[in-house]
Amino acid sequence: MGLLSFFRKENKQPPVSLRDRGILVFENTSEVIGAENVLKKGGWRIRVMGPPPEIRTGCDLVIEFPLVSELEIVRTLEEAEITPLQVVAVSDGLLEPVNVFFTTDYGEFVMVQAANMKITVDKRDLTVVNISGGGCPDVPYLAAQMVGRRLDQAPEPRSIGHTLCGYALQLAFEEITRKCLP
Amino acid sequence: MSQTVDARGLSCPQPVLMALDAIKKSQETEMEVFVDTEASRENVSRAVESQGWKVESIATEGETFRLEIRKAAK
Repeated sequence: MGLLSFFRKENKQPPVSLRDRGILVFENTSEVIGAENVLKKGGWRIRVMGPPPEIRTGCDLVIEFPLVSELEIVRTLEEAEITPLQVVAVSDGLLEPVNVFFTTDYGEFVMVQAANMKITVDKRDLTVVNISGGGCPDVPYLAAQMVGRRLDQAPEPRSIGHTLCGYALQLAFEEITRKCLP
Repeated sequence: MSQTVDARGLSCPQPVLMALDAIKKSQETEMEVFVDTEASRENVSRAVESQGWKVESIATEGETFRLEIRKAAK
């Protein structure tokens, strides 16, 4: 048996098409991140996304999941004491929070952008010098907590953020940490 | 004010980087920084304060913000 066929056999979940997706709506981004961790650990093929316009309330996030697995997924979350506010089927309109990172080298500084959020670090001492982008209400707070601190001493955005911007910043933070810290 | 950083027309993080660069390389203890967005004003203020400088005043002149910054006494 070849290596590729082994991976195909392991992939038990059918591909998710536009017609069989559902979304889980949570009270806040912290719950979304907790649910993402639980479900990914359980092997579910899920994605964190921006919600469709009809249920968007601001800088919020949802988890897209294969609708056929709804009962098992909700049960898994309830066991982890993370109960979604809503579970709905969707046909389209989900927004990708991030697909690609952009890195810009400014010489002594390096910036990583994920979606709408940018983090810039001084390469000499690995201090966070700027957090920008967004438009979500928690961005000034995130910046105040992170600017002036070394990457390895700054709080992770996922632990203090509450919005889509916080989530995007977490991705940028992970990427710049991967680039800058051994 | 003997040193001026003009970051108008630039988007973040460039105004922040220009201000930090000036702070680190200059012997001056006072500077003025010109930016033209509220985000840049906030980001530059936050960045220089994290380096031990103080924003003494912010003046609005049309669409320009003029930040007067001073190295804080130790």
